[in-house]
Amino acid sequence: MTSYQKSEIAELIDGKLPWHKTKAMMSAHKDDTRFDTYIAVFQDRVAWDDPILLPIGENLFIVQGADGRVVKCSCGQEYGSYKQNWKLKAHIRVRDDAQSLGEIYPGRHMCDPEWMEIREFICPGCARLLEVEAAPPGFPIVFDFEPDLETFYRDWLGKPMPERAEV
Amino acid sequence: MSERKPLVLGIDAGGTMTDTLLVDADGHFSVGKAATTPHNESEGFVESAIDAVGNWDMDLQKTFEQLSVVLYSGTGMLNTLLSRTGRRIGLIVTRGMEDAVLMGRGLQTWTDYSYPDRLHAVTHQAPDPLIPRDRVFGVTERIDQFGNVVIPFYPDEAEEAANALIAQGVEGICIVCMNSYVDDAHEQGIADLVQNVLDKHEVDIPIHLSSSVRPVIREQSRLNSTAIEAYAAAAGRDQLIGVEEAAHGQGFRYGVQTVLSYGGLAGIRYPRLHETMISGPVGGILGAKYVGDMIGSDSVIVSDMGGTSFDIAAITRGTIPIENEPTLARFKLNLPTISMESIGAGAGTIIKVDPLTKKVSLGPESAGSWPGPVAFDQGGTEPTVCDCDVIMGRLNPDYFLGGKVKLNVEKAKQVFKEKVADPLGVDIYEAAEGMANLLEMDAKDSMSQMISARAVDPHDYSLMAYGGSGPLHMAEYSRGFGFKSVLTFPFAAAFSAFGCTTADYLRRYSRSVQLTLPPDADANHRASVIASLNDVWDGLRTKAIREMGEEGHDKADVELQLFAMMRYTGQLEDVEVPLTISRVSADADLDYLVEAFDDLYAAINRPVAQYREAGHSITELGLIAKVDKIKPTLKRRPLEGQKPSSEAFKGTREMYYGGTWHEAKLWEMDLLRPGNHVEGPAVVEHPATTLVIPAGDHVWVDEWTIIHYEHAAPADSNSK
Repeated sequence: MTSYQKSEIAELIDGKLPWHKTKAMMSAHKDDTRFDTYIAVFQDRVAWDDPILLPIGENLFIVQGADGRVVKCSCGQEYGSYKQNWKLKAHIRVRDDAQSLGEIYPGRHMCDPEWMEIREFICPGCARLLEVEAAPPGFPIVFDFEPDLETFYRDWLGKPMPERAEV
Repeated sequence: MSERKPLVLGIDAGGTMTDTLLVDADGHFSVGKAATTPHNESEGFVESAIDAVGNWDMDLQKTFEQLSVVLYSGTGMLNTLLSRTGRRIGLIVTRGMEDAVLMGRGLQTWTDYSYPDRLHAVTHQAPDPLIPRDRVFGVTERIDQFGNVVIPFYPDEAEEAANALIAQGVEGICIVCMNSYVDDAHEQGIADLVQNVLDKHEVDIPIHLSSSVRPVIREQSRLNSTAIEAYAAAAGRDQLIGVEEAAHGQGFRYGVQTVLSYGGLAGIRYPRLHETMISGPVGGILGAKYVGDMIGSDSVIVSDMGGTSFDIAAITRGTIPIENEPTLARFKLNLPTISMESIGAGAGTIIKVDPLTKKVSLGPESAGSWPGPVAFDQGGTEPTVCDCDVIMGRLNPDYFLGGKVKLNVEKAKQVFKEKVADPLGVDIYEAAEGMANLLEMDAKDSMSQMISARAVDPHDYSLMAYGGSGPLHMAEYSRGFGFKSVLTFPFAAAFSAFGCTTADYLRRYSRSVQLTLPPDADANHRASVIASLNDVWDGLRTKAIREMGEEGHDKADVELQLFAMMRYTGQLEDVEVPLTISRVSADADLDYLVEAFDDLYAAINRPVAQYREAGHSITELGLIAKVDKIKPTLKRRPLEGQKPSSEAFKGTREMYYGGTWHEAKLWEMDLLRPGNHVEGPAVVEHPATTLVIPAGDHVWVDEWTIIHYEHAAPADSNSK
């Protein structure tokens, strides 16, 4: 079974892996260790120690925190239990008129604000744009993903969920 | 031994190995091998020649002094193209076409991919353009497809473009006008202006016109061909000149020849050197044609199984199939090429087992020659079909490449067991045979697809199996088709190099036209078609004779054969019709043209497919200019007894085949004599290849020392 160096996975995450390697990786069967290596690369990059359980965005993770499993930004900002929609605790910028939409999609590229608005979710800790969603005006904020972590770890990864190191 | 008279030296430099085939006047062959040296190919050339000459205990210098022909096909241009280390070139195109270098053709984003990768668009990627967009300039002009000037070209734009390109420091300029295949006046006019600007700035760089690359319809592939010629030919030519200097240094008296993609030889100063870039499969099919003509079989299916791929082609009634828009390094080219179909299935093909579904797949990745299969013990970690052959006792671990590579059977077994047999939960030998069968099934499928797509009847065809791994797997991949005969050769591994030595000095010239011949055409229309035909052919004839003369051939030796690309009006595919006339001198010649097409069309597609009511269209006119070259001759020898001599017998080995172990007799291929028969189970060994014969099958050697493979009669019937 193919396996990759941690440095290669880091380049993959950063989009810096040369194309021929990326292509070879896509064409091969997925390596057994990919998930663990992926997590390890992220874990090295963050300043905090809570074990990452699952990445759910480029800078957003579900981690094993002191008070249970929480959603956390790479800057350390926490959003509470992963069973709640983290977006509700982010700063939200809504683009719902021609002027603000026009900044992103000028002229004829723009959607009709009567039919669709764009919501940007920004981290209160580091001001990173964490997520963007497009929805009809009035539609509730979308809860993207509530993973079944127990089943994922037990049946798919075949291992126990990481615990916090005892302090 | 030094009585031999060396005649032809054919050298094929591949990605890893440079193969040499040395032929003497009596038709004896010597095969040499050395590592390819990409930085200076002349080193690998000389090493490989030394290896071949050494087999005959001859002096290198003396050999080169006696040789009549040295031909070399190298990798210089292809490497330059693949590594994107060619010249800095600029491009002037018809205004509106500037983005053609970026857009390319859709299929360039997935060509050469495996089937799953083709389906998954995420893996698709356009090749990096050879010319960045900021070195592309448009000039307003348009000649329509009938040759009418719709917009004259704008000289100020052409001059502006030339100035801008000079400012950018280009080393060559390509000019591609959209319909220049009809009339090259605008390309020529722009070129003159550009040349003036260059002269004014005292810049000396080449200008390449698409119409002189090949005046044929389809601007994208014409653009690609022109760009590749400008981009990569210079570096390739430098390598070839190095090889020629090395040959002269050894006492060779003539010019070194190189091989064109459609099977001709050309001197290394040939102006369209990109035509030598696809020469890999050319040799094999030329060799097959040559052997086929000799043994009286004009329809041949050729199959070449090497380490990385399985290539097949069909020669039908003496006609070698030509593909007019091949792909090279993921660029669609405007270049007639001997057409072969290729799948990624060879002995070095890597076996993968999906960890979740346990589905087995072969390739298309190959272990190559480095690190190679696990059994090579050079660090290869992925099991290959070659490892299966080793595990099953079909390959001799002490006689691979004549013993130069010792095969590590235990290691092959261990890795194969761990990565394939155990995950599948089957016995190691059963699994190994299953993998070999998968490879053979892939090969067989590709052959039956070709056979059914071309509607050829296998009974009319001889199958020739060559390449290092062809004889190893031919028993199964040729079984059940009912070919007229199944043949292989003692020099199977160097058959491509052999084929190159049978080539003539040959050029193709052609031009796109749009001529129609409705069934009820009146005399006036027919007369105008005749005038157009003669006009185009005369132009091509003049050019052909001039260029052949420039290469040093006597103009009187140049044989010309005309051809026309024709179709029934409204159809989408052309048929290349070879013609025996030298000019259209009467109305009856037009009928001859039509009949020649109808006959060929019927031969390819069955008479019922003819559609004369639609009338005929002529899309391209061309001619082939040929000068004969000295060729090797296979020696005809008297047939001896059926029983091979005792010195050919090498003992026995346990071989796994059909789910059980057999005691296979081992024979040395080079010591089998004409007339000899060998019954399976047996393995016939050669330093460069291995022929496996299962129980029930047998082979015999004919008077040309060609090995004929005969399968056991199928169990359910005794007739074919």
